[in-house]
Amino acid sequence: MSYLTDEKEGASCLVMGNEAIVRGALEAGVNVASGYPGTPSSEIIENLSKVAKEPNLYVEWSVNEKVALEVAAAASFSRLRALCVMKQNGVNVASDFLLHLAGSGTRGGFVMVTCDDPGALSSVNEGESRFFARLLEIPLLEPGNFQEAKDMTKWAFDLSEELRQIVVVRSVTRMSHASGNITYGRLPAEKRRAEFRFDGFALDPDEGIIISAPVAWKHQQQQEKIRKAREIFEGCPFNTYEGPERPDLLLITSSACYLYSREAVNVLGAEDRVGLLKMGTTWPLPPKLLAKHLSRTDKVMIVEEVLPFLEENVKILAAEQAAEIGVKTFYGKNDGTIPMTGEMNPDLVIAALSSVLGIDYVPVPEEYGREAQASVIARAPNREQVFCPGCPHRASFFSIHNALEMDNRQGFVCGDIGCYTMAIGSTGFNTLKTLHSMGSGAGIASGFGKLGQFGMDQPILAVCGDSTFYHAVIPALVNAVHNRSNITLVVLDNSGTAMTGFQPHPGLDHNVLGEAVPPIDIARICEGIGARVEIRDPFDLEGTRETLNELIEDTSGVKVLIMRKACALSPQRKNKKDYTVHVDETICIGEECGCGRFCTRIFGCPGLIWNAEKQKAEIDEVICVGCGVCADICPQGAIKREEVA
Amino acid sequence: MEKRVIRRGQEELKKYVLDARLCTGCGACIDLCPYHRSHRGKTAVLFPCVVDEGRCFAYCPKVDVDLDMVSRHLFGRPYDGNPLGSYQSISATRAGGRLKNVASQAGGVVSALMYFALEKRYVSGAVLTDRRGLLPLPRFVTVPQDVLACAASKYTAAPTLSALNQAVEKGHRNIGLVGTPCQVLAAALMSSNPLKADDCVNPFGLVIGLFCTWAIDFRLFEPFLAGRIEIDRIRKIDIPPPPSEIMEVFGDSGTKLEIPLNEIRELVPNGCSYCIDMTSEFSDLSVGVMEGHPDMNTLIIRTDRGRRIVEEAAQEGYLTLSALPEENREHLIWAAGNKKKRGLSKARGEGMINTQGNETKSYLRISAEILEGLTA
Repeated sequence: MSYLTDEKEGASCLVMGNEAIVRGALEAGVNVASGYPGTPSSEIIENLSKVAKEPNLYVEWSVNEKVALEVAAAASFSRLRALCVMKQNGVNVASDFLLHLAGSGTRGGFVMVTCDDPGALSSVNEGESRFFARLLEIPLLEPGNFQEAKDMTKWAFDLSEELRQIVVVRSVTRMSHASGNITYGRLPAEKRRAEFRFDGFALDPDEGIIISAPVAWKHQQQQEKIRKAREIFEGCPFNTYEGPERPDLLLITSSACYLYSREAVNVLGAEDRVGLLKMGTTWPLPPKLLAKHLSRTDKVMIVEEVLPFLEENVKILAAEQAAEIGVKTFYGKNDGTIPMTGEMNPDLVIAALSSVLGIDYVPVPEEYGREAQASVIARAPNREQVFCPGCPHRASFFSIHNALEMDNRQGFVCGDIGCYTMAIGSTGFNTLKTLHSMGSGAGIASGFGKLGQFGMDQPILAVCGDSTFYHAVIPALVNAVHNRSNITLVVLDNSGTAMTGFQPHPGLDHNVLGEAVPPIDIARICEGIGARVEIRDPFDLEGTRETLNELIEDTSGVKVLIMRKACALSPQRKNKKDYTVHVDETICIGEECGCGRFCTRIFGCPGLIWNAEKQKAEIDEVICVGCGVCADICPQGAIKREEVA
Repeated sequence: MEKRVIRRGQEELKKYVLDARLCTGCGACIDLCPYHRSHRGKTAVLFPCVVDEGRCFAYCPKVDVDLDMVSRHLFGRPYDGNPLGSYQSISATRAGGRLKNVASQAGGVVSALMYFALEKRYVSGAVLTDRRGLLPLPRFVTVPQDVLACAASKYTAAPTLSALNQAVEKGHRNIGLVGTPCQVLAAALMSSNPLKADDCVNPFGLVIGLFCTWAIDFRLFEPFLAGRIEIDRIRKIDIPPPPSEIMEVFGDSGTKLEIPLNEIRELVPNGCSYCIDMTSEFSDLSVGVMEGHPDMNTLIIRTDRGRRIVEEAAQEGYLTLSALPEENREHLIWAAGNKKKRGLSKARGEGMINTQGNETKSYLRISAEILEGLTA
């Protein structure tokens, strides 16, 4: 059992925002939950999977976000309550289906949770999923604290059923990954039975067929739902106001920015000057509610992450109602008061507020700031993001890098999203030269591979992870084979969705519920598509490098090299050393010609350390995981490894 | 006072040789460290090295080569620009009765000499060049019979010295080497202890240099021949003496492909065009095809060590020696002088010659006087 299910109504618990969302979904009686792992969203499906023993809850990691949304949609169509979870860029993947789903409508309560990552703390984009709500004309909710994360999720199911439309709940990293106290509500006893009805009147929302056509009529219905949502939002308790009746400034905000704004107002002691309007329903905005609050003052500031979504929508309403509420002066992203990229924080809000309100506020005395910065520069070690000790990616990229340098024709690698993204930097020997969305390395490579007729003679490689392979690489690979593109795809198969925490994927023999499932073999898929396939253990550095050079030189079409080695942090490798490793100081030549600190300066495994005093390399036994690869890269054979019995 | 470090490391090697397209892929900088590798005839720098003075730079025959220092080291006399270099005598020669039926080039003298040296333990092993298809493969052999497997000319530029570096690293000494002029020059640099190391040992027991006008870039040669002949089944490649102006490529089923030399010259590495050495001047013995006698070799004896081995090999029937006709000698001098003049003029025209003796890094260091004499 989990504290997310065993605590009774009225209990107060300290939970992560993502757990609050889970509890909310459970209180709503969610039946089916699906998703694709991605920080900061992954804990939602993970926690649901832990309580999925109940017969009225099914949870899965789907192959990608689009399929996840389709899987959940089937539950909604069958009058079950469905939840689909993804990170911000996942919404882009799911958006094609989402467009059609918004047109067709839903039946059982259907909530899509998207966890955005302003500032790209663990992303390679800071995409804004909120705009999809407006673009696709579906309701959007944004919780402003942890209690709301739970309550709003639960309410979103009711709203969805009332509207017969999917409802989006948008969280952000600081909401999903921070923790707060919440008070639990009741877990429902109701058990729903799945039934898909289709033989009523074709256009009947409950018993007809579920399609987005006839488009004009359905689109009208869809917009009617938005009008209805707007009505409901006028009285929604998640839109709150705190502050004086007639403030100097109205601050409109949502999500985690609500917390930053409250703190900022408090720090500035401006409670009697600033009115704080927190919007929980950010699309569609309720016009009457907005008009009421906008009438309080002439100055309006909007604080949000990342783009001016709320700001622009408020401005439209303000313009439409200008005759009634008067002309306003707006402060926000468009006038530069608030930054339009990256995360917000209390300091940024304080800076914006103090400048607009003319309050003298020095957050940090100048002298102290200078000293603090100098101290940090002097004392903090210069560290880069690196692959973990024993990471197979380091070995893989060492071989890829060397193969390309030895090939000597300016070959390059197109990458995508995973831990291996870090191969854009020195930990992966600066091997990646393009980096975009999941699977895009293979697709871009497919295109590069057709540029021979324009004189391109550089070898083209792509890399992807094993989970990414299933997610989005297969179509790109099919494309490359079909169009006779000459590329080499390297699948970095580390036996799990490693970066987000070892969620199972279709290549494994178990699913998120721990059930045995048939593993889907990457090699056989690639062979079936028509690629030449080789499999290597990346820890065999020279064998891997030779195979790579051979594949790069093979101009017959699409080649796939599967580098198969489990992640060093994976359950099967963690805390298990294959070797004990040490440096024989009498052999190590350190900085001399013939080595030049190759292991610590170039290979760069954190388990290797340079003892500047002795001028010798050493093994950091605390973090060395005993993979033994460094013994193969030492030019002198000074690094010794002994098999652990 | 702080010691001024004059950098002669990988960065300089890259700048003055690799980026300047002077590298012929001889292998002198390969297998000394994990930073340089040779693949399909090309030298690759895998990672940046920070050693100030590296063997890679010191051994390279294409950068900052002080010909006078090398000549004094090997022959005890200054470099004077003689077209054939320093030598004791020149002979006409061919392999003797002791080594029949070896699939070698011309008179088979190189194979015979190295076979003999290995059999008599004048050398403990030999660094040679084998091939797979057209791909030249450096080999270190320790058994005389294995010398014969590497017989015959390869024509493709080869990283032969990588096998030498490996053998030295493993502790082998008294090594025999068969190499082209650039490789033989690198070997001379290696034996001169350029980094003034305390523990430096001259690893060579016998250096046999080959006559060479240019080599062929494997990476260009392979696609050039592809489709014309089965590359895996090439038995022999030969360039008959002038005025034929062709290269002959023999398949194993008796097929013969004739390619005009002006097409082949397009496949020559850029670095070869600066070469001033046709006869491997810094060897113990130099061997080439004898003009007008396709089954004979010209043999230049340069050192006492080389002379003793030749004399003994002849006595024991591994070689037959005869006098080289005067017109052959004159022609050889003419051809070698031409190559020297051509290479020097090109290098000089592109500012690649250091006559000042200062720290300028360029292809060659040579005295202004000698340079004037050679390019006049």
